[in-house]
Amino acid sequence: MPGFSGGGIGAGVGGPASAPPRPFRPSRYVPVSAATLFLVGSTTLFFCFTCPWLSEQISFVVPIYVAVMFLFTLANFCMATFMDPGIFPRAEEDEDKEDDFRAPLYKTVEIKGIQVRMKWCSTCRFYRPPRCSHCSVCDNCVEDFDHHCPWVNNCIGRRNYRYFFLFLVSLTTHIINVFGFGLVYVLHHRDELDTPHSAVTMAVMCVAGLFFVPVAGLTGFHIVLVSRGRTTNEQVTGKFRGGVNPFTNGCMRNITYVLCRSQAPRYLGRAHCPQELDIQPPFLRPSLTEAQLEAKVLDNGIQNDRHRSQSKSSSDPIESQSADAEPPPPPKPDFRYPGLPRADTEESSLLTEAPPTPSMFKYRPATNSPGRNHITHQNKMIRGESLGSPSPTILQSSRHPSYRSEPSSLDGATVVGGGAGVRRGGGDRGEGPGSSGLPAGGASGYSLTGRSYTSYPSSLVLSTGSHSSSLRSAHTAHNPLATLQSEGTTDTSYKSLANQTPRNGSLSYDSLLTPSESPEFESAAHELSPQKPFQPSGVMLRGQTEMVSPGCPLQGYTSPFLSAQIAQQREGQLLQGSATFSSPHRAYLRAVSPTPPSSFGPTEVHPLIHHRHHQDTRVLRTPSSSSPGVHSLDPPVSPPPRSLSLAKSQASHTEGGHTHKPRPPVGGGTVGGHQAPLPPLPP
Amino acid sequence: MLTAATNTQPFDMAETHSLQDMRQQAAIASKVFIQRDYTTGTMCQFQTKLPSDLEARIDKQQFEETVRTLNNLYAEAEKLGSQSFIEGCLACLTAYTVFLCMETHYEKVLKKIAKFIQEQNDKIYAPRGLLLTDPIERGLRVIEVTIFEDRSLTR
Repeated sequence: MPGFSGGGIGAGVGGPASAPPRPFRPSRYVPVSAATLFLVGSTTLFFCFTCPWLSEQISFVVPIYVAVMFLFTLANFCMATFMDPGIFPRAEEDEDKEDDFRAPLYKTVEIKGIQVRMKWCSTCRFYRPPRCSHCSVCDNCVEDFDHHCPWVNNCIGRRNYRYFFLFLVSLTTHIINVFGFGLVYVLHHRDELDTPHSAVTMAVMCVAGLFFVPVAGLTGFHIVLVSRGRTTNEQVTGKFRGGVNPFTNGCMRNITYVLCRSQAPRYLGRAHCPQELDIQPPFLRPSLTEAQLEAKVLDNGIQNDRHRSQSKSSSDPIESQSADAEPPPPPKPDFRYPGLPRADTEESSLLTEAPPTPSMFKYRPATNSPGRNHITHQNKMIRGESLGSPSPTILQSSRHPSYRSEPSSLDGATVVGGGAGVRRGGGDRGEGPGSSGLPAGGASGYSLTGRSYTSYPSSLVLSTGSHSSSLRSAHTAHNPLATLQSEGTTDTSYKSLANQTPRNGSLSYDSLLTPSESPEFESAAHELSPQKPFQPSGVMLRGQTEMVSPGCPLQGYTSPFLSAQIAQQREGQLLQGSATFSSPHRAYLRAVSPTPPSSFGPTEVHPLIHHRHHQDTRVLRTPSSSSPGVHSLDPPVSPPPRSLSLAKSQASHTEGGHTHKPRPPVGGGTVGGHQAPLPPLPP
Repeated sequence: MLTAATNTQPFDMAETHSLQDMRQQAAIASKVFIQRDYTTGTMCQFQTKLPSDLEARIDKQQFEETVRTLNNLYAEAEKLGSQSFIEGCLACLTAYTVFLCMETHYEKVLKKIAKFIQEQNDKIYAPRGLLLTDPIERGLRVIEVTIFEDRSLTR
């Protein structure tokens, strides 16, 4: 997989829409020159030496027929050589706003019921459409890539495959013609074989015969490909060996598609006509119902994330978006908290004061990086779930565009534990961070927590009494959000366990907690305690003045914030991460060790921790294997990613590191901003 | 106050312009990308689901209508009809020299699509602070929707 400094700095930085100029390599022109020479030269000789006799003795139609075939061959040869095969222009910068770590290497789509993987092209900076491949010779992504043909010195793709195929067919026919008529000539001049005409004819026949075998073979091969609806690339790589080809429409249709489809358009070099429009505010707005507004407030980030996961759409900080949905916000950098209500309730104001530490979620360490298969599986699994239903927090948060500075980013980071392979090294963000059984079990709990925090308007947090998880309860007001949690009590309870533990872990950092989180935790605790075995711990937690109650929501806030503190102190250590889960774990452990979790209710917490640990090991295959030290300190299992991610975000912020796209100074600023203590939680 | 009519640069310059003269064109707040819908194969179809970023800006129905119309137009462009067949035959017979003088069926539909997008932008999207970009400029991979900052709300 590409490393940190991989695809983010692609070669296509030069022209946004065109490939960078390639070095002139004369060796590439040898095959095409040879092919041209043989074709034109042999045919010319044939016309000069053989055809006069043929036209006289056989018929005048013969040279005409041979000439027509030759012209047809030449025309197809020229089209195959000079026509743009369907090169995709490089994606522009703004199309891919995600950080390198967060985007997975593969994105899966379903085509006629078959899962097809789209790979991220680091040069062209987009996910390659199905059947598209990047030609290393031409350094371009080509649509419906067949192969790179050295004899025409061009890629064969969607636009010129027809001409290439016809070239092969016509060349085979032409070779047969030349050989055949040359044979007729030679047979009639058996006793004059020493004349120049005969000698030349025989030479031409030899060349024709020599080329006939490979050309006819290739023609036959492509006839089979066309009838099967496959490209050379797919055939050679064995993509559909024993499987079903989703791109086939039956033999007749496949042939018709190749031969009769309208010429596909060129993507490069098109005349760009800028639209002359006057776009001035004020802008029209669709009328939102109360419920819609409420829902929008709730899942502002969540919806974004989900859509983002499905379509890898990139958006800049949702500043305008949040501004759109709510009444004029207070004069704060609100873009960090897209999902937060702007109403000045006590909770909301407290919430807005909370640090946007969730940005750490974005930099989910490589919990996923080790087992690519596992990740892919996770990805698929997640994607299946996410596609099926508007997934709540984790998914949305992970994909929320503004999760640079939001709790959602935490989710994204943690969820990524289940995400696909690291696209460009570093942290990864699962494309479909399903909340179910993610490797980052605890992390997912964290992410859920964090996500639910941001998505909980104060009123909603207090309103519901749903059973399985605080998240679900928070989201009852908004249907789409209830989905993932509903997928399994085990999952939710599992997550709640996870939620609990980090909170317990963060108990040691009570003094660092911002009181604003308390109300959320309180309400969440109310919801959680009835169902969870965490009641004791919950009660205990509530006893703490500044404690974060077992409520999930602020999980994302507390731990990342705390971790951020630690991370700031240990930035150097945490920066090591080439996104290995072990390093963040170790870093976190190092960070955690100085502050003993004395404020834990040990008795209540331990069973919880063990239980959670057990669950964690069940799902966190990668982390547990890669960081044995984790087992010794359960509570920190979930936070570490955050600390790392925050550290990373800080690093990127401070260094403007090239591996991370520099985040808006929210991460650093907000962390710093969260130094102020918040009012204590009401018991 | 300068209007966009005088601003003939491509929209990627609009932001620069707005930075220089804030009273001018609205600043670009963000971009949303509508991805392709591959469920029916490699036919050019776009996802009709309204992205959440746009929910506050435009009606779901309206947007879906736009994308559906685009999908229909692209389906028409790629259709295996008599016109494309005749075009193909003619091209073969003339050794493809006909492409020098005649526009292909696909290109004709692309022009139609460009006009449609322009019209949609004029009537529906620009008044809402949005701008659709012709997907052909992105290789028919995405529809780029530029969201303009609504300064009247962010004050």
